[in-house]
Amino acid sequence: MDIQEKLGILSGAARYDASCASSGCGREGAAIRVGNTSQGGICHSWSDDGRCISLLKILLSNDCRYDCAYCVNRSSNPIPRASFTAREVVDLCMEFYRRNYIEGLFLSSAVMKGPDQTMEDMVRVAEMLRVEEKFGGYIHLKVIPGSSPELVRRAGLAADRISVNIELPSSESLNRLAPQKRKESILAPMKLIGTEIGSSLVERTLSRKAPKFAPAGQSTQMIIGASPETDLQILRLSQGLYRKMNLKRVYYSAFVPVNDDSRLPVLASPPLLREHRLYQADWLLRFYGFSAEEILSDDAPDLDESFDPKTAWALRNPEFFPVDVNRAAYSALLRVPGIGPTSAKRIVAARRFSAITPEGMKKIGVVMKRAKYFITCSGRPFEKEVREPLRLRQHLLLGDPAPEPRQLVLFS
Amino acid sequence: MTCFLYDGTSEGLVSAIGQILDSGSDPGVATLAGREDTLFEEGLFLRTDPAAADVLFSRLRQRAPDAVHTIWYFMMAETGGLETSLLRYVVLALQHGDRINGHLTHDDVKAVVSAARKAARESHRMKGLLRFEQMRDGAWLARMEPDHNVIQPLARHFSRRLRDQRWFIVDLRRHSAASWDGRELSFGTLEQFSRPELSDEEQQVQAMWRTFFSTIAIPERRNPRLQKSNMPAKYWKYLTEKQGE
Repeated sequence: MDIQEKLGILSGAARYDASCASSGCGREGAAIRVGNTSQGGICHSWSDDGRCISLLKILLSNDCRYDCAYCVNRSSNPIPRASFTAREVVDLCMEFYRRNYIEGLFLSSAVMKGPDQTMEDMVRVAEMLRVEEKFGGYIHLKVIPGSSPELVRRAGLAADRISVNIELPSSESLNRLAPQKRKESILAPMKLIGTEIGSSLVERTLSRKAPKFAPAGQSTQMIIGASPETDLQILRLSQGLYRKMNLKRVYYSAFVPVNDDSRLPVLASPPLLREHRLYQADWLLRFYGFSAEEILSDDAPDLDESFDPKTAWALRNPEFFPVDVNRAAYSALLRVPGIGPTSAKRIVAARRFSAITPEGMKKIGVVMKRAKYFITCSGRPFEKEVREPLRLRQHLLLGDPAPEPRQLVLFS
Repeated sequence: MTCFLYDGTSEGLVSAIGQILDSGSDPGVATLAGREDTLFEEGLFLRTDPAAADVLFSRLRQRAPDAVHTIWYFMMAETGGLETSLLRYVVLALQHGDRINGHLTHDDVKAVVSAARKAARESHRMKGLLRFEQMRDGAWLARMEPDHNVIQPLARHFSRRLRDQRWFIVDLRRHSAASWDGRELSFGTLEQFSRPELSDEEQQVQAMWRTFFSTIAIPERRNPRLQKSNMPAKYWKYLTEKQGE
């Protein structure tokens, strides 16, 4: 099989992995011949599904001994199988990098003979890049559950980011859909990675020569919509991963039915809107100071389809509003629908010069579509006030109606 | 109101601003424009004085280093007609220091910062979208036609990244070029340009990249609109993965 054909099979098999981040660390130095990483990350292209391409995302092999229900590469599927040699991956990565197609490599794999042998092969690719090619670009290695701590350590020393897929949001679903994977074999390397990252950071404060362990941190990924968990369960899990395991990112991937399997739900299309809402909620956890319990409750455990999670929270908590843009703290500005960290920072910077008027808000570049219902400028409402909850929902859903829709009378 | 004119170059602009500030005339009512842009050349022409530009830059570097950065990107944006705004911006930057970039409710600050932001955004974008091709002699060539004059920050970026390669970056819109010989960067202009022959291996690697590009997309999630909004079609001309579409 020629390399072109292998590449087709093994990139096609890797496309369901969601992560493409190349940010989070700077790597430069004299021992490097080619390549560096940048703190903010760089996207190099966008594929036909609109997702960004930043890394050469491939599997080392799709020849899997496991038979996970949701996975296109499961052993019972009659698909063409292929495996790269380490040299082939290294050469592809270097050729692509030298042409500025990519920021680096994202390497995952099906489980070939066993976890340790597979992990060893993957680590060898990363080590060849670092040692033989003196490659300073970005490397993200997937950790195979069940591989030995020693291999996990080597992976962390060669890669910028490592990740263990949690796969599904609960251990019951994991048992049902991926019976050969065990919760313990996923959580154990996650904990080990967390500990190693922590101690590497401490050692580096003592000596700048101490080795970096996964300097861009740890991430994970789970499939959404293949199993019955609620959004609240999912967000609680993510919150725990961020708080207790110190993860950088949790990725959610809408379940794409690639197999016929009685254990799987039948869906007309992948739950993309749900995935989108989960990412929005995830952002609220990481950057906006929200907790999972503020976003959802046991009475309403799933995210609203019509409203983004922050707008939904604002509608449930009218007593928090209006927020005065000239007086409110940064953390309160962040709670206004439509105002994110960029806008909130700009507001705080601009009001040091003079009080911000409604016109000033537009100049600063704050998108007022949703925010205008929830803010005042020095006590004055931004526009004609809409406080009545039902009308507010209508305005948010449909934009400002003019003339007022008659139907509202029927509902109020 | 005093109208000042300058020669239309970046250096001329900074030098003119320095001279206006030194002259004691009230910058609040002065206007500044490129000589070419005004119909009757009514105004006082300020000849470019590199020393005046240097003095202003070193004052700014001390007082407001972020503003120097903003001015650098503002120049790359090549937006004519905003010289008076830049003059006012510089006065404010000297007065308030770096926090001036937050004063977005001020029209002149807003105009300068927005223009700078556009150039900075394209510079970042091109760091991802620029494509190098290997030529027969082993050197590498990247072509582009960016909206803004971003060749300098790009060349710096690639001098750190592709540091063991000999490469050229060519801006075909401005007929300018940057080159890196493995040690030093140099910049120049190009009168004529024709792409040299590619190395034998180049076509094969390009074909592999196109294979990767098409198989990495999830067919069930096809979304050309999202693709275009992230990667506007104006950049496709030199993208390896978009050739032959």
